[in-house]
Amino acid sequence: MKTLKLIFIIFLIFSLNYLKANETDLQNKITKNLRCLICQGQSVYDSDSDFAISLKLVVKKKINDGLSEKEIYDFLTEKYGEWILYDPKFNKNTYILWFLPLLIFLGGAIVFKKLINIKK
Amino acid sequence: MLSSVIGYYSLIFGSFISLVIIFFSVQNFKNSKILDSKILLFSFLQLVLVFVSFLCLIISFVNSDFSNETVFNNSHTTKPLFYKITGTWGNHEGSLLLWLLVLTLFIFIFLVKSKSQLKKYRILTVIFQQVIIIGFFTFLIKTSNPFNYLFPIPKEGLGLNPILQDPALAIHPPILYLGYVGSSIIFSSALAATTVNYINNNWASHIKSWVLTSWIFLTLGILLGSIWAYYELGWGGFWFWDPVENVSLMPWLALTTLLHCILVLEKRSLFKSWIIILSIATFALSMCGTFLVRSGILNSVHTFANDPERGLFILFFLFLLISISILIFLVFHKSDNKKLSPIFFLSKETSIVINNWFMMYFLSVVLIGTVYPIFLEAISSQKISVGPPFYNKLLIPFLIPFLIFMAIGPRLRWIKSELKDKLSLVALLIISVLFSFLIVRNFNTNYLLNSILIGSAFYLFFITVQDFFIKKNKRFSQNIAHFGFSLLILSILLNSIFSTEIITNLKVGESYIEDDLKIEFKDLDKENKKNYISFTGTFYIKDKSSNNILNPELRIYNQPNIITSEADIKITLMQDNFITINSVKNEDYFNVRYLVKPFMLWIWISVLLVSLGGLISLFNKKYEK
Repeated sequence: MKTLKLIFIIFLIFSLNYLKANETDLQNKITKNLRCLICQGQSVYDSDSDFAISLKLVVKKKINDGLSEKEIYDFLTEKYGEWILYDPKFNKNTYILWFLPLLIFLGGAIVFKKLINIKK
Repeated sequence: MLSSVIGYYSLIFGSFISLVIIFFSVQNFKNSKILDSKILLFSFLQLVLVFVSFLCLIISFVNSDFSNETVFNNSHTTKPLFYKITGTWGNHEGSLLLWLLVLTLFIFIFLVKSKSQLKKYRILTVIFQQVIIIGFFTFLIKTSNPFNYLFPIPKEGLGLNPILQDPALAIHPPILYLGYVGSSIIFSSALAATTVNYINNNWASHIKSWVLTSWIFLTLGILLGSIWAYYELGWGGFWFWDPVENVSLMPWLALTTLLHCILVLEKRSLFKSWIIILSIATFALSMCGTFLVRSGILNSVHTFANDPERGLFILFFLFLLISISILIFLVFHKSDNKKLSPIFFLSKETSIVINNWFMMYFLSVVLIGTVYPIFLEAISSQKISVGPPFYNKLLIPFLIPFLIFMAIGPRLRWIKSELKDKLSLVALLIISVLFSFLIVRNFNTNYLLNSILIGSAFYLFFITVQDFFIKKNKRFSQNIAHFGFSLLILSILLNSIFSTEIITNLKVGESYIEDDLKIEFKDLDKENKKNYISFTGTFYIKDKSSNNILNPELRIYNQPNIITSEADIKITLMQDNFITINSVKNEDYFNVRYLVKPFMLWIWISVLLVSLGGLISLFNKKYEK
């Protein structure tokens, strides 16, 4: 039962990533994931600042040039650094960021098992 | 001028009274059986002094007394009276003074309200609270004096950031602070109770009122902040997982966990150590919020003036408090593992443990997401952003089992229980998911996840509705809070799926037409207001079912010189029609953003319902007795 639950959860995490990939408007999707560097806590998509307007054009042009979503992110990270991406990349800098919460959840499962008398 | 002097000396005297109170408390601790009335008297005096000080600052703001540095930095003669007053706490110094005021107010109320409790416990709570109060007095007087004198006296002030000149934001800080500061009482009280070994069901019922009070205020404070962000920031969102939002959410999560856990202590005398840790954590997270926001580590509209000295002080103070509390916990807390009664699987205790488990996970996601980038930058000087996609990925999948447990859990009884009608529970879950599938199938690509997610929210919704009709329902407050939460999740999900948005550039007289929708930019009026120039657009919006006239506004404030965009929103029960305009540099057209956002109103209503649940519980002491 427990493993079933775990598999279920892992499956959901993956399907969530998948959910994003099918969105029709690629440009909106990309600009929603970009930080407007001169604003305070706004995405490029949500902002009307000069920076955001020019970046929207850049993204549009890159899409027209046939670049994939990942290639556009790579291009922008090279230019502005990872700071611009709201969805942190999965690499050695961010292993802890992604895994620590999940480890804490598993730790909770161990505590739960110790605490509760499952036998009826 | 005069008010600044009075305000300053009130503060100084107020801080000395802390020492007097501690002196009497220590003396009283061993001697007599009853609490010395001097403690109550001096606590009241301290409250009055801080109140006078706060009043003096308000008077300085109202009179635009620019010999006061705080007033000079944050006010302006042309500002409307209302915002002169609310501007008092719209800045670093004033908001800290407000914080201090609430601290002294709460300890006084605590003394009045806790007469039936153990004397030693009450005195110790006062002492711990006074340590915090001294910390804030020192912080205020040393690094953030609201009454600094300026000479020569400037003729005009620098003004308040216009986006803070707003009714919702005027009351947002005080409400939020009532929640934050309420957690300080829980902290002091938990430490005091640990010291005199008073962590028991008696203490639980007594401190529950404080947990509920802080929780209600924190919930409402966060709600007000979200409403403000929704109509003022101009992009139609209400939550962006911004660090300053997260720091208010973290104590809320801890407090919600504590609220559930305290029930187990009240009924079954379990989880004593865990409750002490949660009480400490809640306050530490509130303080961390202050530290992160005030130190300038986070940049946002909330970081008024950034001064590393202030950040360091809070960090040091926080470190001190946490060390003291850990020490007290280790020295005084006797865990009673031996006589621990077993927890059976099907029982209310289990459901609350599951609640705690998930809440701690949610808290850790928010905490790590907020703090990790700061650490990474300090260690490797790499800057990364952690935004909505991160939180969505880590939170949403876990929300599904959480919602289901939240539906079933309250139906279980204490100690040992049985789940009746298992079949109908499962059937209802399947119906909910199928029902959701029918809703989302035409609109979204990911049927499966969205059906299950919305389905589990509907499940909670249906179960809680069903519970309202159970005879002699003794847990009405819990029921309404959970019902509100299901409504909140449903509104947020449906809102995010069904929102539509049009962004276009229009000149006056032009129209935008797409399918059945026509947006016509009729007119633009200019008007001079007291401290800004207003440009109001008139838009005729026609779609399949309705005709609306909306008037979004651009404001050019004179002091400081900032342009803000005021959304115009037509609010109906089922959807909001939201429009903003923005000027584009060197162009004669305007950037127009038109949003149709379904169920917006329900997001606010559902949060109100959740807090209403807390309010009912606060006044209805007969919970499952």
